[in-house]
Formats: sequence, C-alpha cells, structure tokens
Amino acid sequence: MGKKNTVVISSSDDEDCGRPSRVKRSYEKPKSRSSFASTNPSRAKKPRISGSRSCVSKSLSNVDEIRLAFEDFNEVLNGFKVSSGSGKSNLKELWVDKYKPRSLQELAVHKKKVEEVKTWLEERLKTPKDRFNNCVLIITGQAGVGKSATVHVIASHIGAHLCEWNTPTPTIWQEHVHNSSAGINYTSKLDEFENFVERVRKYGLIWSSFPGERNSSIILVIDDLPVTTGRMAFERLKTCLVLLVRSTQVPTVIFVTDYGNEDSSDNTARWLEELQLSLQSAGASKVAFNPITTNAVKKTLTRICREEQYNVTAEHIDQIAKASGGDIRHAITSLQLSCLKPEQVLNMSLSDSAPSHTKEEANLYDGFSLPYGRDETLTLFHALGKFLHNKREAENVAALDQETFHVQEKFSRLPLKMDAPEKILCQAHGQARPIADFLHENVLDFLSDEAMDDAWSVTSYLSDADVLLASFRGMLARHNEAENILQSAGASVAVRGVLFGNSHPSPSRWHAIRKPKLWQIEQSSSRNQKEMIRRRYYACNISSLPEASVMATEYSPVLKWLGYRASCPKTHDLLMQGTDTQDENYEKMGIDDQESEISDDEIEDW
Amino acid sequence: MLWVDKYRPKTLDQVMVHQEIAQNLKKLVTEQDCPHLLFYGPSGAGKKTLIMALLRQIFGTSAEKVKVENRNWKVDAGSRTIDLELTTLSSNNHVELTPSDAGFQDRYVVQEIIKEMAKNRPIDTKGKKGYKVLVLNEVDKLSREAQHSLRRTMEKYSASCRLILCCNSSSKVTEAIRSRCLNIRINAPSEEETVKVLEFIGKKENLQLPPGFAARIAEKSNRNLRRAILSFETCRVQQYPFENNQAIPPMDWEEYISEIATDIMKEQSPKRLFQVRGKVYELLINCIPPEIVLKRLLHELLKKLDAELKHEVCHWAAYYEHRMHLGQKAIFHIEAFVAKFMSIYKGFLIATFG
Repeated sequence: MGKKNTVVISSSDDEDCGRPSRVKRSYEKPKSRSSFASTNPSRAKKPRISGSRSCVSKSLSNVDEIRLAFEDFNEVLNGFKVSSGSGKSNLKELWVDKYKPRSLQELAVHKKKVEEVKTWLEERLKTPKDRFNNCVLIITGQAGVGKSATVHVIASHIGAHLCEWNTPTPTIWQEHVHNSSAGINYTSKLDEFENFVERVRKYGLIWSSFPGERNSSIILVIDDLPVTTGRMAFERLKTCLVLLVRSTQVPTVIFVTDYGNEDSSDNTARWLEELQLSLQSAGASKVAFNPITTNAVKKTLTRICREEQYNVTAEHIDQIAKASGGDIRHAITSLQLSCLKPEQVLNMSLSDSAPSHTKEEANLYDGFSLPYGRDETLTLFHALGKFLHNKREAENVAALDQETFHVQEKFSRLPLKMDAPEKILCQAHGQARPIADFLHENVLDFLSDEAMDDAWSVTSYLSDADVLLASFRGMLARHNEAENILQSAGASVAVRGVLFGNSHPSPSRWHAIRKPKLWQIEQSSSRNQKEMIRRRYYACNISSLPEASVMATEYSPVLKWLGYRASCPKTHDLLMQGTDTQDENYEKMGIDDQESEISDDEIEDW
Repeated sequence: MLWVDKYRPKTLDQVMVHQEIAQNLKKLVTEQDCPHLLFYGPSGAGKKTLIMALLRQIFGTSAEKVKVENRNWKVDAGSRTIDLELTTLSSNNHVELTPSDAGFQDRYVVQEIIKEMAKNRPIDTKGKKGYKVLVLNEVDKLSREAQHSLRRTMEKYSASCRLILCCNSSSKVTEAIRSRCLNIRINAPSEEETVKVLEFIGKKENLQLPPGFAARIAEKSNRNLRRAILSFETCRVQQYPFENNQAIPPMDWEEYISEIATDIMKEQSPKRLFQVRGKVYELLINCIPPEIVLKRLLHELLKKLDAELKHEVCHWAAYYEHRMHLGQKAIFHIEAFVAKFMSIYKGFLIATFG
C-alpha cells in the first residue's frame, strides 16, 4: 500500500444489496486506491448475517451497511469464530456502532436541531445551485453529542451520498524513511487537505468515484479538520476553509468539536472559535449542538437494554446517563461495560438503593466509586469559583448522625456542595503556588462585610500555606517527592483554609476573578530596587555599597526632598504615581511576550 | 554630595563615635595579619564607616579608588549553568558585594567569587600582604545553604583572602561562621554622641544651631546616626536659619504607614483589609523591606492602642514576623497580622462599647 492508509469500502456488495444510497467512508484519491475488497467474502457472509437479524436489516441504512462490511472483514480475520447462532450480540461488537441511530426517531439529538439541519440540507440539495451563496454548514458541539450521526441519518433519509474527508493517518518516521527511499515524496497532511479542498472548490466532487449514480445528490462532510500546530499552519487552514466557504458549489458540512472544558492555556480551543467566526463571516451557517439531555440518553440506553435483553435497573441507567455529561457515545460504552459483569451491576444497584436519598445523590457524581463516568476536567477559574463561592448544604445532615465525629460549635461547618477540594484541585491541574496567589487576591471579596474573624482565619491559613510552599525551595528542591507532598499539602491548606475560614460567605453575586496583583508587585519591586541602587551611584559619589533596605528607607526619601531626582538619568516617582504606568508597561510586556511566544511556536508542520 | 558621605570619617583616627573600637582595630591590623571579621549592630551605627576606614588603614588610599561594576557570573551547577548578575564595588585590594541580592542563588555567588579572588592573588610592591579582602553585606540575609558554603570556602581560601562580614543581627548568622570570625559589635550611638556629630557638622558648614535643635533631631532619628545626618540636611534645605520649633520632616514611607494604621483603627472589615493590602503593596513596590513595614506598623498601632491589648498584639506581630521569614511572600503574613489585629480590636470595641 502507498503511504496513505485510507480504508476504502469499495463497491463489492453493490449487486446483492442494490440499495439506492451508499456511503463512501472516505474520500479517496484515485491513485491511492487501496482495496481489500478482493479479500472480502461479503457475498458469502452476507445472507447469514442479514438472516440472523432480518428484522433490522429491512431498515438498514447505509451506515449499518458499513458496519456489516466491517463485521465481515472482522470475521475473516478472526477465522470465522463467530457462531451465527448466538442470539445476543457478540461482545466483539461495540454497542456504539451497533446501535448507531438509523432513523430520525432514534436520534437522541433534540428534534429542533435535527429539523434545522435537515431543512438546510434539503434546501441546498433541491434548489438550483446558484440560489444560495452559502453552501457550508458548521455544526458545533462537544464530543459525543451526535453531530456526525445526525448528518449520516439525515443523508440516508433524504437519499444523498456523503462524501467524507478523513484525515489521513500520520506518517511515522520509519514509514517516511521507507517511502523516501522508494521515491515517494512526503506531503504534509495539511497540504493534502488543502489540495483536496482546492479540487472540490474548482471541479466539484469527482464523479468518477461514484460510478453509475451521476444523478443523485452529494453532501461533502469534513469531519476531521487537520491538526494545526502553530499560528502559521492555522492561518493556512483558515484561508483554505474560507475559500471553500466562499466558492464551493457542493453542500458541505463541517464538524467542529468544542473543547469547552479544555485547559485554557491550550490554543486549540481559541483557534477553533476564531475559525468558526471567520467562516461564519464568510457566509457559512452554523448550528450548535448542545449536550444531550439526561432524559434522551436514558431513553436510548433503555432501548438498547431492551434490545440486548439485559435487565438493568432504571436507577442504574439514570446514573450512567448523569455521569456521561451529555456524551451519548460515552454513555453507551459505559452501559456495555457494566453489562459485561451483570453481578456487579446487581451489587451496585443494591447498595445504591439502600442508603438515604441524599447520600445516593452525593455518590452520583463521585467518579471514584463508579466504574464509569468521565473524569471531568475543570478550568482553573472554575475551580477557584467553587472554592471562593463556598457553596454549602442548607442543613447538616451528617450532624444528626450519632456516629460522626463531634466538633465544637464554632469549628463545625455545613457539608460542602462539591467534591473534596483536593479532587477539584486535581481536576483543575492546579499548581499550588498560583492557586494560593489567586485565592489570596480574591478571597476578601467573598467575605461578608462583618466577618472580621473569618478574614483573619482565612488569611492565617493562607499564611500557613505560604510557609509550607516556601519551605521546599532550598534543600528539598532536589527531592521531587518531598516537594510534591509539600506542594499538595500547601495547596490543600490554602484551599481548605479558605473554605473553612469563610463561615459567613457574602450573598453570592457576580465577582470578577482578578489576576493576582502580587505578581506585578514583585516584578516592579525588583525592578525598582535595581533602579534605586543604580541611581545611588549616579546621584552621589560614594565609596561603599548601600544596602537596599537602607536605600529605600533612608536615602530615597531624603534624595527626593533634596531634589536629586532631576539629576538622575531616569526619574521615577515614589509611591502612588509610580505604579500605574509600570502596570501598563507590564501589561504591554505581557502581551508582547505572548506574541513572541506564538511566533516562536510557528514550526513548519512536518 | 550628601553630608552623610561628605563627613564620613576616612580614617580610624577621625572616627567620632566608637573611638575605642577604632583604636583596637588599628592595633589589630598594624601589628599583624587580621583575622576574618564580623561586624554586627543596628542600622546607622557606623559599621560601614568602620569597615571602610579599616580598609584604608590596611591598604592605604588605594582602597578609596573604587569602581562599580555589574558583574556576570556563569556558574556551573552540575547539570546546568546559572547566570548571575550582581553589582560589585571593587578596588585593587578589595571587593564588596551584597550576595543576598542574588536571592536564593546566593550560595553560588559566595563560592564562586571567593574562588575567583583566591585565584588571582595580588602581590604587593613589597611582596607582602598577599591577600585580598572581601566585604560581604547583609550576611544575615543569606540563606542557610549560602552560609554553609561560606563556612567551607572561608577555611579553604583563608590563606589568600580575608572576609569582612557585615550584618544587623548576628543571631541570624550560623554559629559556625561566627566562631571563625572576630565578632565586633557596633552599638547604636547614644543621643549625646549623635548631638556631638551633628554639632560638628553644623560647625563645619557654618550653621547657627539653635539650642536643643540637634537634640530634637537626634531624638527623632531613633539612635540612627545616618538618619540623623540625613534629617539634619533635609532641615537645612527646608529652612535656614533654623527655628527652634521647626518641624523635622518624617520619612514619607513612615507617614504612609501611620496612615495605614489610622485606616485600620477606623474600620475593621474585609473591605478595609483589602484597601490596606493595596497600600502595603505600594510600600513593597518601593522596596521598603516587609520586616520594616511590619515593625513600623506595629509601632504605629501600639501608639493608638489601649494598654490591655498591647501584649496580645505584640505577640501576633512577632508570630507573623517569624512566619514571614519562613515563608516566601511577605504580603500573606502582613495581611494575616492586620486581619488578626482588626479581629482583636473589633472584639475589644464591641466588648467595651457594646
């Protein structure tokens, strides 16, 4: 095979199916046509499989067909181990694929969104091409909300072909070496994508890849935007897509996956947003998919359970649905996993039904106790917000319990309405030092005006945290483990201190979270210090090094009075005036830094 | 030139305060090779003056020809090299520097410089006195590691160089270093001595001093001679001829701190605490050391405080001062102290006035 590992389902089963619509799973270039069709004994297998699931196969959509084709392939590989007699699904098959929605009714996506996409596509396909100046639809949404599924189902519903661009697999080094010795030049994946888009723009889709069906309509689907590293590559991708939006004649759907929860330091999310905006301004329409509602997920899960004849309690399904966070793919996989071990499911549902309702609810989001559930990531600000707002239960349920450890009135606090602070810290990937700084900067806003004692205990805990964080900086820095323990202990003290100390939170309202001013202060302080010592040399002729503290406390005020300022090479005002301009400078510096960082990142993609 | 520098005694014989110590030092270096020295004592007592006079005594006037340099060192620390930049003041025979300016990398500075000095050992015209003197300021602010490495290098290179250490508090210098040095305590000059110096300067400058004026400055300056002379000069610029009741201008940062103290006394709330933080930041930006901020703040607060609270407040100030040394970010601890004070004071007000 060439360097492209594009998997092509070729039209080997055209004859025996004869269905009007068919999917090209991948856009393929004619020269790189790689075909395993010859080894695919689909004709031999087909009748058996469709026979075993005849009820379904009537409504088999093209999507399913692919799956079947793959199944065939699997069976070939596995040496026909699958016995056709098994009524239940074999476990080799993922439920996610098996229960891909085949009709509009099965889609868990909100009806209105589906309708929106459907009408858009129908309009584009039915009316003459030049009627619309925008032929591109962007669908956004987080992972697993059924973006692709929706389009696939709609396409099969209205009888259109989907032509997909799939990003070619990355070339690994050995492969590259092999290729170059064989005389094949390397092209970057972004180049390939650009070429593809160029072709589509100029010539439309190549009809030769759809033999015999020239009259049916085609939808181009771009599911996987090429990964771009660095600003320059991203700009190329953007211009390329904008051109596509402006000039294409083929209805095109572009999927953009939201990374709402990703780390804010990552540029990808920001770029994707930028990309969307520029595409929209170029005339593309956009449909945003929301996370799937718990009810819809539950409905789907229940349906699957029914079809698989597994007896899963409603409660359990409820749990899975809630833990999935609107990601239906994840929910289905979780369901399959928990069905693998029926006895475990039983245990869990038993243990869950026993305790009181509140406890169960607390368990729901506890990712540790469940074998499934997405480990949510949080942004730093989200975590800070949780700590600072300090939401607690209205009444202490645990306190009524006799077994709990009793503390004095003034030390007892209502239970937290959140996970353990350490877990949140872990999810937010918080570094101890910045967390402490951020808390210190912002916590006072969140205290009620009267609560001076609270303010003291909060600041006192922060001071403890600072001591903990500082103590590793000398000797221990070499011992990573000790450092880590101190770091996490420091962070934990800071966070818990803030949570515990703030016993009378001010009524919650919107607060902006500020960046610690301390960072600026430290910078400008050290700069001022250098400046001051320098000035001392020029202002007066001395034969001894002044200590910085003496300089600041004794010399500079006097120098100011004596009007030495005028003679200094660079005047700088003491106290109030000085800081503002410096802050500006630093902000500017900050921006510059960022820009230079970005430009440094620009590496030609390889 | 400031009067502080202008009337700084150049030789050990000219010294007006600590005359006895000066004579002893003179005897020490004229008779024999001098040992390592550790000068300690409060700020403005005359440590630096004595050190400089001593250097002159040893090396003659060449010790006064100094140049200021921003030196860069590349230190090879195992796996990586560390770039250090430090201001030094050096003559042919001595180098003066403040290693604590290098922050937590101070230990490299200490080792590297001494090593370098030991390498190029000066040869006197007479072929004698083949040693250099290294003056290290603020030894008490050196980290523990730096002090350890200092101890080691002190022994290793003692043949080729002498150390003169200078610090405020000898309690923050490790025992090991103290025992290797001749410790010389420089007391703060008494008020009478300060007055004497001021009158001497007044005479040299041909100023008419009203009776008791110098005493007032001396009292205000808290036994800090440098400060007394600086204030004296400020008064001179402000108004001359002097009047007996002329106000002696306080330092601006001290005024600022007393302003903060007033703020704290007026209202005790998290909001006010936040404002106080902003003001403390201003002080820190201008490089006022946090220990001094805390100390001064306590001083100002105590002035306005009811006697029965003083003990507790002092306790907490000491507590957070210690914390500050252990910790990294001074503002955390200053703020904790202010919060504690507010909390105590508020409780007190409620208890007293209901």
